[in-house]
Amino acid sequence: MNSPKELLRKEDLRLITGHGKFTADWSYEGMCHAYMIRSPYAHAVIKKIDYQQVLKAPGVIRVITAEDVQQAGMKSLPTGSTMQNPDGQNQVLTPMPVLATDKVRFVGQPIAMVVADTYEHAKHAAELVQMDLDVLEAVTDYEAATQSQAPQLHEQANGNMSLHFIKGDQAATEKAFEQATFVSSMGVKSQRLIGSPMELRAVVGKYDPVTERYIVHTPNQGMLGMLGALEHITGISKAQIDLQTQDVGGSFGIRGGAFSESVLVMLASKLLGKPIKWVGTRSEIFLSDWHGRGLDLNGFIALNENGKILGMRFENKADLGAYTCYFGSFIGARNVSITMNGVYDIPAVSMSSELYFTNTVPVSAYRGAGRPDIAYAIERLIDHAAFEHGFDPIELRRKNFIQPHQFPYNNQIGSVYDCGEFDRLLTRALEMSDYQNFEQRRAQALQNNKLRGIGLAYFLEASGAGTAPKDQVLGQFAKEGILRIYAVTGASGQGHETSFAQIVHEKIGLQTNQIEFVAGQSDKVMVGSGTGGSRTLYGAGSAVFNLCEQVLEKSKALAIQLLNTKEDKLHFSNGSWTNTETGEALTLAQMVQKTFVEGQPHALNATGEASSGATYPNGCHVAEVEIDPDTGVTEIIQYIAVDDVGVAISPALVQGQIHGGIVQGIGQAFFEQAVYDETGQLLTGSFMDYAMPRAGCLMNIKTEKIEVPTKNNILGSKGVGESGCSGSLPTLSNAVINALRPKGITELDMPFTPAKIWAALQDH
Amino acid sequence: MQITVNGQTQELTVQDNTLLIDLIRDQLHLTGTHSGCDTTQCGCCTVLMDQVAVKSCTILARQAEGASIQTIEGLALQDLHPVQEAFSQEHGLQCGYCTPGMIMSTVYLLQRYPNPSDEQIKEGLAGNICRCTGYVNIIKAVKSAAKKMQETKA
Repeated sequence: MNSPKELLRKEDLRLITGHGKFTADWSYEGMCHAYMIRSPYAHAVIKKIDYQQVLKAPGVIRVITAEDVQQAGMKSLPTGSTMQNPDGQNQVLTPMPVLATDKVRFVGQPIAMVVADTYEHAKHAAELVQMDLDVLEAVTDYEAATQSQAPQLHEQANGNMSLHFIKGDQAATEKAFEQATFVSSMGVKSQRLIGSPMELRAVVGKYDPVTERYIVHTPNQGMLGMLGALEHITGISKAQIDLQTQDVGGSFGIRGGAFSESVLVMLASKLLGKPIKWVGTRSEIFLSDWHGRGLDLNGFIALNENGKILGMRFENKADLGAYTCYFGSFIGARNVSITMNGVYDIPAVSMSSELYFTNTVPVSAYRGAGRPDIAYAIERLIDHAAFEHGFDPIELRRKNFIQPHQFPYNNQIGSVYDCGEFDRLLTRALEMSDYQNFEQRRAQALQNNKLRGIGLAYFLEASGAGTAPKDQVLGQFAKEGILRIYAVTGASGQGHETSFAQIVHEKIGLQTNQIEFVAGQSDKVMVGSGTGGSRTLYGAGSAVFNLCEQVLEKSKALAIQLLNTKEDKLHFSNGSWTNTETGEALTLAQMVQKTFVEGQPHALNATGEASSGATYPNGCHVAEVEIDPDTGVTEIIQYIAVDDVGVAISPALVQGQIHGGIVQGIGQAFFEQAVYDETGQLLTGSFMDYAMPRAGCLMNIKTEKIEVPTKNNILGSKGVGESGCSGSLPTLSNAVINALRPKGITELDMPFTPAKIWAALQDH
Repeated sequence: MQITVNGQTQELTVQDNTLLIDLIRDQLHLTGTHSGCDTTQCGCCTVLMDQVAVKSCTILARQAEGASIQTIEGLALQDLHPVQEAFSQEHGLQCGYCTPGMIMSTVYLLQRYPNPSDEQIKEGLAGNICRCTGYVNIIKAVKSAAKKMQETKA
């Protein structure tokens, strides 16, 4: 048996032995338990809510109501950025209250929190609530929400509209379409999804009346995002909140900011003087974690007679759910627009998006937050245009690629792509997939009564520049020579502890077991962005690199002293300074051990920092699928992913991110869909009816990376967390349509369930 | 009731409706066994009961009376189990939340099929959901653990 030392990721030992610490694993003496009372209706006026029976139930200590929230002076949840309509007016913002007051607007909306001595008591008591509600008609999609007589969710939002967003040069695009020889259009739906991290969302809070400080444990994507949201809602300074997080069981964009339960647990803990724990059930998570996607993207392309793209435009509809929460508005507006030309050199582009409210769970970021969606829409459109007008889909792409000499390339929407070698990646993906011999395989499959299809897509996405102006990390040496690195950003499976240790090891030679990465320590004052937009590795990672440069510089002065020599007689390699005259050498760890003074910060301590711009990860994916026409079941025969992620610091972790992203894309392409009935009840409220991808949905995958280093950060790395999703949605869709096209099917919406494919085949 | 958990036999008092997972997590404070759904779908709570993988959220504690339960914490009392090692070596985990359940299901799978086929692996892990890894490296880990365990035996 191997010893734990040989484990590959620094995170693994605790996680494979059951010693990880997730939020629900925190417990305190005398802790009470909370259970939420939620709206059973999608749209209703609250007339009266009677908690008398709840309060009489065994074990109940208190019910936290909307009145308590109001008395505590809490604000509503953050609405994210505010954008403008074409007339310059701000969009209509509808902040979600912590607890509903006059009206409920989606099933699952928090109404009150019951606190009892045990979880069971709280849960049973919650069932005794008596609600007098006037149920209103609900709207759950664009058609229903925008009808002239449609029930209106918010007084201030006429016609349930929040924003009409426009971007690009409308006039130039119109002209391009007038001059076009060929025009095609393709409308796609990126259906509403439920992100479903495996860790159930939870909050444990403890208020100390002496220090007036709160300890809060809750899954998050970095301390400042969560603390900022907590401060915004409660008005309690983030300096008074100790956010303590060790392990986070997935986040995917959903857990960047606070939810109602987060601040209610804090409030209950203060009012009752007891630690409080709330752990959501999976059904509650389905009804209360922000949902993802919910976009209709309608693309139009104008081509000249040679297949050169003259213009492209999109007309989109974005479902915000019941309120503007966090990144909700950003997704269907800014995020789908910034790379709307994909990898193509297009002279004229424009976009128009309508953002509207429905009686459903609010939408916010989910893996890619608009970028996989637009990549999907572009690459379906390109394939469709090629098919309609008789172009080879590969050649059509090649002809329109932005060429290496065109970088930096301003895409006219404000994004400046810094580098990329699209033709090179495409060529490699074609080789790896044996694309040229596909028709033989299709013919062979047909002999077995199977419909084989091949799909290719070239995606590009923008990974985040970050919400903070720069990223800082604190490096503090401990007595044993161990370097502890503190950062704002927090992991939820990405392996920060490993990647950052690798950067340090490569730069200054400390052994990986001499490096500890600590996230989410709110007593450490730093600037930086959280985990999101696929940016942590190059954002915080560049700051780690800068920290190492400073440590190295400072250690030189120390080495001169300790090795009793001059600068020009010193040599640094493999983590040691050597006196080249005497041969005497000291490792950095030894130098720290020799000079450490208890209670004092060590001289080598430093704050690393870096400003890193957006990067443009891109890739070419090819999928081959086989459909059984008798059952409608699709099998993914082969998946090829060639990705340009810039410099890969931890290749195995990069590959893991790509695998995971591709399979979340498989989830969207074949299984997942949040379904509401017309009254606004969520029909897919558990893993029994919301189908998740399972083991074996992808057996044959080959990934390859081609590193085209970016200059937008010191590491040369690009984002990778969301690439898989951006690549797999269009690739798989193109493959399915390619398989079905001989049967006359040229359009079909995800998810490609067996029932849907079978039904489409019967109709043709 | 009497129950043996990770080799230790103990007397515990439980309610009639206490679930096995609550006994494990709340009474014995073994928090490596996770809850991930309410519908026996995700497998985060998988433990071995008399060497058979069960979902501890769907078993009453009383049903485990007299049984021997092994949780993730009991798998490596000294050295790591080859399945644990393989998950790390093959990068079969990211956030680690589903991992204890995945590992316990794999241990049971390899008990039944020391050299499992792809179909047997898919079937053996059908009750465990992972949201991070895409399962590719989990399946690699299962195969690599099987190989190592076969070699050790031979």
